[in-house]
Amino acid sequence: MTPVPPPASVPSRTSVPDGGTVPPHETPPAADAQLSRNAVPSGDTVDVWWFGTRAVAVSPAGLAALDSGERARAEAFLFPADRHRYQVAHLMLRQVLASYTGGAPGQLTLGREPCPRCGAAGRPVLLPGPGLAPGAVPSFSLAHSGDMVVIAVAGRPVGVDTEQDAAGCVCALMQALHPADAAWLAALAERQRHEAIITCWVRAEAVLKCTGQGIGHGLGGFPVRPGRAGDLSVNGCTVVNGCTVVNGCTLHQLAAPAGYRAAVALAGGGAAAAVRVRKRP
Amino acid sequence: MTPAGPDGAASVADQLRAFLASATGRDELRHVPPGTALFGTAVGLDSLTGTLLLREIQRRFGVDVAGEDLNLDSLATLGTLAAFVAQRARPDAAGP
Repeated sequence: MTPVPPPASVPSRTSVPDGGTVPPHETPPAADAQLSRNAVPSGDTVDVWWFGTRAVAVSPAGLAALDSGERARAEAFLFPADRHRYQVAHLMLRQVLASYTGGAPGQLTLGREPCPRCGAAGRPVLLPGPGLAPGAVPSFSLAHSGDMVVIAVAGRPVGVDTEQDAAGCVCALMQALHPADAAWLAALAERQRHEAIITCWVRAEAVLKCTGQGIGHGLGGFPVRPGRAGDLSVNGCTVVNGCTVVNGCTLHQLAAPAGYRAAVALAGGGAAAAVRVRKRP
Repeated sequence: MTPAGPDGAASVADQLRAFLASATGRDELRHVPPGTALFGTAVGLDSLTGTLLLREIQRRFGVDVAGEDLNLDSLATLGTLAAFVAQRARPDAAGP
């Protein structure tokens, strides 16, 4: 691995929490290079890292950082392109987490928390280990879609999701969303509706990943559409400081690469979180 | 006509392949073997695509495979899913 200089710029902060952000240009760190050390975000701050999987070369030496479970999953892919995306996502996850814990990427132990609803293996978590006290373990969330990987890191539970805009009609997904969101979506013009459906989808998945409840239990139990105060008042959903607050999480739409939608949810419903984009794709 | 029986399963599998390829824009999905696990890691389908697939099966064949549960045995592979759908397809379903 080749050491690289630390990221060139200070991370940006959003001023409009639910409207995304346009961070300053940053020089991406090399794919398999060690990232500079980062402090675990405190309070209402979320760090967001984007990686484009096409820009990353995976070497046999680099793959040594994956654990046996990750290597087995990678082997199970039918198409090399899917395997590559998975390997990049998990290698970059380890790189990013190691930049917060100070350990080597391959030394980190990842586990699964039980789903709070059914007890099955749920949200992936970083486990405490040598040199990593339980109180110093950052929360994280990983999502990948198409050629993009997004990783969110925070001091308390966080969920992130990204989806590529669909190739075809996605109106069938409306039935899986909350009825209030489905009614709002149905009233939109078709092209706008397809984008808004993906937007609602990533917001719902971000909330479920934040609370740790798997998508297997459905994602239509709560409304998630972006809104103004007073628009949303069902199932305990409110708007605080421009952010939708639902299921004990505060939702933020992320500025995603062209053709993608993304959202992040942070546990807690008091203040708008500060989203720091640490790396753009 | 709605396909049924062993030939029906092959036809259903072909239709599911074509739908997945068109929904994802990934042409290689037209050629996945019947033993391929659709969810989990074999072809990297995410929950959004999985939900679209199940909704399409309901629309086209009148079969509610799993509600929202993407972990059922009938969903283990393309082949088991196609067989499950072919056995239960309603004659009056929407068709391709």
